[in-house]
Amino acid sequence: MRSPDKTTVQQASLRALLGKEVRELLSGRALWTMLLLLCPLVGYSFFQAVALYGEASAAARDQPQVATSLSPLDGILVPTFGAFYVTVTLLFPFVAIRALGREKETGALKLLVQLPYPIPTLVGAKLAAVTIAWLIAVIPVAAALLLWRSFHGHLNPLETSNLLLGYLLYGQLIGAIALFAAAISDNSATAAIVTLAFTIGSWVLDFALAGQSGTLGWISRLSLTQALRTFEQGLLSAALVLGMCAAIASFATLAAIWLHPGTSLHKRLARTILCVGVAGTILAAATELRKTIDVSEDNRNSFPAADQRALARLDEPLIITVHLAPEDPRYVDLQRNVLSKLERIVSNVTIHLVTAGQSVIGSAGEESYGEIEYSYGGQAAKSRSTSHREALPLIYGLADVPAPTPQTGEDYPGYPLVADEWIALPWFFVAFPLLLAVAWWWWSRRAPRIPPLFLKNGGQL
Amino acid sequence: MMPALSRSAPAQDAVVLLQVAGITKWYGEQRALADVSFDIRRGEILGLIGPNGSGKTTLLETVAGLLPVDAGHVLWQRSSLPQHRRRDVIFYLPDGVRPWDGQHVIHVLEFFASAFGRQAAELDEVTRSVGLEQVLGKYVCALSKGYARRLMLALALLTPHPVVLMDEPFDGFDIRQTREMMALMRRVAAHGRSFTLAIHQLADAERVCDRFILLADGRVCGAGSLGDLRVRTGKTNAGLEDVFLALT
Repeated sequence: MRSPDKTTVQQASLRALLGKEVRELLSGRALWTMLLLLCPLVGYSFFQAVALYGEASAAARDQPQVATSLSPLDGILVPTFGAFYVTVTLLFPFVAIRALGREKETGALKLLVQLPYPIPTLVGAKLAAVTIAWLIAVIPVAAALLLWRSFHGHLNPLETSNLLLGYLLYGQLIGAIALFAAAISDNSATAAIVTLAFTIGSWVLDFALAGQSGTLGWISRLSLTQALRTFEQGLLSAALVLGMCAAIASFATLAAIWLHPGTSLHKRLARTILCVGVAGTILAAATELRKTIDVSEDNRNSFPAADQRALARLDEPLIITVHLAPEDPRYVDLQRNVLSKLERIVSNVTIHLVTAGQSVIGSAGEESYGEIEYSYGGQAAKSRSTSHREALPLIYGLADVPAPTPQTGEDYPGYPLVADEWIALPWFFVAFPLLLAVAWWWWSRRAPRIPPLFLKNGGQL
Repeated sequence: MMPALSRSAPAQDAVVLLQVAGITKWYGEQRALADVSFDIRRGEILGLIGPNGSGKTTLLETVAGLLPVDAGHVLWQRSSLPQHRRRDVIFYLPDGVRPWDGQHVIHVLEFFASAFGRQAAELDEVTRSVGLEQVLGKYVCALSKGYARRLMLALALLTPHPVVLMDEPFDGFDIRQTREMMALMRRVAAHGRSFTLAIHQLADAERVCDRFILLADGRVCGAGSLGDLRVRTGKTNAGLEDVFLALT
C-alpha cells in the first residue's frame, strides 16, 4: 500500500498541535472562570493562615520554645494550597474536559483523528495543555507565596518544591481522569459527572474507610486526597510519585483507547483490560518501593540525626509486632512517631499488626492489647509506649549498641512571624480578579497575527 | 437542466484507487448499510446520492474508518486497507461541523497547514481559491454558514490525500458560490485527486459528478455515469432526478 505523503506525516508539527490545544483552553470560559473563583478562595485561605500564624507567633515571643513548632509548611503553605486543592478537585475537571469534550460535541474530533498524529500524541498534547492550564491556575497561589516572602516570611525551597510537585501530579491526575471521562462520554455534562465521581468518591473513601485495615484499608489508600497528604507532610516518596505517574499514564492511555470513534467496542474493551492489567502491575510494583526522602526542614519524618545514623547501621532483621487495632489513636501515634520513621531508615524491618481486621472494642479486653514487641538479633522486648523516646532505647538495647548522644545545634529554630495580613484582601478580592478580567478581555478581543503574504496580496481584515 | 462542468477524462477509464466491498453496518436492531460495494477512481468526482436517512453519512464515515463496520472491507489499489490506515489515503469532511469555533480562521488554517507540512504559499493559494482571505481575522464561530463551508473546503484542500470524502459540501452555498466551488473541485480533480460527495440536491450532483452511487435504505440501487443509469432505466433523455426515482 502506498501512502500519499510519508514525509508530511512524519513532519506533522507538534508545536502546532500544542498551540491549537492551548488556544482552545484559553478561548473557553472555563479556565478564566476558575481563575476568577480561585483568587478570592486562595486569598481568604492565605489571609486566615497568616492571621493564625501571626497569633501563634505572638505567643512565641514570651515562650521561645513555642517558636520551634512554627513551620511555614504547616502554617502557611498547606492552608493556602488547601483552597487550590478544592478548586482543582471541583472546578479543574471542567477545564480539562473542555480540552476534548468540546471537540466531541462540535464534531471537530472527526477532523482531529484524521490528522497525521498518532492518537497517543493527540492525547499527550491535550494533557500537556491541561498541565499548562494548571500552571496558569497556580498563579494565584504563587502570588500568595510571593506576598508571604514580601512579609519577610520564610519558605524552604525543598519543602515548597515538594508540595508543588505533589499538587502538579494531583492536577495532572485529575486532568488525565477528565480526559478519559471525556473520551468515554457523549457530552461534557456526562464527562463531568464521571470525573467528579472519581474526585468526590475519594472524599467518600477518606471519610468512610480511613483507619480501616485489610482490604478496606487498601481501598482507602486509593483515595486521591491521601496522595497529597504525604507531600503535605514534607515527604517525597518514590512509590507515591511512581504510582501517581503510572495512574496519570494509565488514564491518558485509556483516553487514547476510547478516543477514536472508528475502533470497535470489543477492541476497546480488550485494550482497556490490558491497560488496567499493566497499570495494576506497575502500581503493585510501586508499593514495594520504600525509598522516601524527608524534605521537611524540621525533619519531622525522621528521628534526630544521631539516632538516624545509629539506626542506619542496624543490618539484622528488626521485627515489630503491634497489638493494636488500626483505628486505635495509639496505633496512629505509633505509626507516625516510630513505625514510619523506622521503615524509612532501617534497611530490614517487618511490622506485624496482629489485630488487623479486629476493632478496638473487640480487642481491648485482651491482656496483650496495647503491647508492642520489638525483636532483633534473637532477643525481644515489649513496650506500650508510642513515643520514640522509649522505643529507640529498647531497640538499641536489643542490638547491643550504645544510645547516641543527642547533638546540639540541630534543632529546628522555627520561623515565627507577625505580619499585616490585611493587604492580602484587596489584592486577592479586587486587584487580581481585575487583572484577570482585563487579561481575559484582551485575549478574546485581540486580532490574530496574519502572515504578511496574505496582507501583501490584498487580504483585508 | 444546467450544463455539467467539463470533465477531464472518461471516468470508466480511470485507475481504481479504492474499492469498498460488502460494507454492512447495524445500529442496534436497525440496519443502516446492507452489503454496499463500489469503487472510487483516480481524478473523478463521485456522487453519493440518496434521500435523508439513506445511509450516505454512515457510508462515508465507515469508509473513512470513523465508524466500525459489522462486515465488509476497503481495498486500496487492490490491497486491504485496515481501519487504522484509512487516514493515510482518505480524508473525510463531515457535514455540520464548525471546528474549533473559539479560534480565529487563520489559526485553524495554519494548524492544518502545519499538520500536513504545507508551506505558507500553499496555504495562501488555498485560502484565495476558496475566497477566505476576507475573514482570516474572524473567529470561526462568527462566520456565516457559507464562509464556514468555505473554511471546511479549505481544510480538505490543505490535505494531501488522494481520496477526499465530503458530506453535503454545497450545503450553505448560494448558486454562484456552488458553481465556484464545483469549478474548484473540478480543477483539483484534474490533478488526480478523487472526490466522493454525498449530496441530496440532485441538480448539484448532476452538474459536478462524473459517476453516481444511488443509495436507498442502506442499499446501492444503481451505480455508474448518468449515461449508464439512463440505459439501465431505459429513459434516454432523463435527468438524474428521474433516473433516481426510477431506480429507488
